[in-house]
Amino acid sequence: MSFDVAFILSTLPAFLKAVGVTLQVGLIAIATSLLVAVLNAAILVYRTPYLQRLVKLYVELARNTPLLIQLFFVYFALPTLGLKISGFAAAIITLTFLGGAYLTEVLRAGVEAVPVAQLESGRSIGLSEGQLLRHVILPQAGILSLPSLFANFIFLLKETTVVSAVAVPELLYTTKSYIALYYKTYEMLAVLTLICVLLFLPLSLLLSRLERRLQHGQFGS
Amino acid sequence: MKTAITSKLLLSVLGLALLAGCNKAEEPGKPAANGAAPATSYLETIKARDKLIVGVFTDKPPFGYVDETGRYVGFDTDIGRALAKSLLGDENKVEFVAVEPASRIPFLQSDKVDLILANMTVTPERREAVEFTNPNLRVAVQALVADGSSVQKLDDLAGKTTIVTTGTTADIWLTKHHPDWKLLKFEKNSESLQALANGRGDAYAQDNLILFSWSKQNPGYRVLAEKLGDEAPIAPAVKKGNIELRDWVNTELARLGEQKYLLKLYDQYVRKELSDDTKPESVIVEGGKWQG
Repeated sequence: MSFDVAFILSTLPAFLKAVGVTLQVGLIAIATSLLVAVLNAAILVYRTPYLQRLVKLYVELARNTPLLIQLFFVYFALPTLGLKISGFAAAIITLTFLGGAYLTEVLRAGVEAVPVAQLESGRSIGLSEGQLLRHVILPQAGILSLPSLFANFIFLLKETTVVSAVAVPELLYTTKSYIALYYKTYEMLAVLTLICVLLFLPLSLLLSRLERRLQHGQFGS
Repeated sequence: MKTAITSKLLLSVLGLALLAGCNKAEEPGKPAANGAAPATSYLETIKARDKLIVGVFTDKPPFGYVDETGRYVGFDTDIGRALAKSLLGDENKVEFVAVEPASRIPFLQSDKVDLILANMTVTPERREAVEFTNPNLRVAVQALVADGSSVQKLDDLAGKTTIVTTGTTADIWLTKHHPDWKLLKFEKNSESLQALANGRGDAYAQDNLILFSWSKQNPGYRVLAEKLGDEAPIAPAVKKGNIELRDWVNTELARLGEQKYLLKLYDQYVRKELSDDTKPESVIVEGGKWQG
């Protein structure tokens, strides 16, 4: 089977648009997930009564149900209950639901990984709880969480392909449409793979560089 | 330090294993890769495997669906059984693979199935990609709208949202003739119907036989009389270049035609789904003989 380069070139504008949608969905979902996670992690770290049980329940529920099923539920089942949500909004909601749970655990683990000796030392030199949080716990917890945090960002970006199932015109949706219309299966899958590599690999490298830089302050080289 | 080296070693071993997997010879259970010019007879390959692999629909009654006992049945699906019986002597020597409209041709191209029996309409573009046998059904594309909808004719859909299932004739026709209309595409027929029921689009364009059947069982919808494009044949398909298998299926269709087998399947599956005045000849193509 020949490889139709002219056809690939003709599809590039559509793919460029799809990259935009993928990034849009992914970046919004990362931001909202992070917001959810910070709130949840605070609830867990401060052991807020009742709320912390709720957060734990949410984390388990979100981490133990597949994204595609969450997505189908929000998109196809909720309208039956009178709640109609657009494909794009359903994508953001479910990715946030999933990402928020994973990031909650990452942040909680980061805070808990700060050595107790650090807290005790802080208290012994007379820092208040607020100062302790600002100057001792958060800077260290942030840096300790970075590797998993970044890994989860990339994970969320990659997961955006799932939302093609509810007709959000991102990368996989565009690829499948072209395959369905013109049967250029190999060409389109090759383009999709290449775009994913070009999109996610530099991002991954950038994030690990950033991570090394930030950790330099903590651990040295 | 030690662990770092160990994990690097492990990684490279894993990588090698993956690469080795790519080079591995064809698994015996899979259809032969070189469908274009088989060294040995393709039919012999199927016989050696003792199993015919057929791609079918699972959510398009009455053509391909799953019955109450979980069995794959339907007008198309049962033709697969009849072919297996003729070739291998047992109608159960058939492995059904669930396909979606958009995955039908990729499944043939990548040798996942011998044959597609999934209500595929013959179009010039698809002829380039696969080898169609003689037809077994005739179909036209129409649009389903809610009873209360303001849409009366096809052109009313300009500026509205039309739902299609990815890779169906309706998808292709609308993309070609009305590229400016807004399309909402789903993978499965059942998802598209659910989306219409949820009001995510104003109409669902699909093969009329499927729409007639669905709207008969789900009141509250009507099919627009106007057709999208001409009436066209539906035919089984094999991989591009697999002339041997195509010709064999054609012979089989002719043989089944002498037994009026398709009429039997029509009575079993299709008749009750359509309005009483539908003539079988307006739906089925017996013996593979297409008259346009």
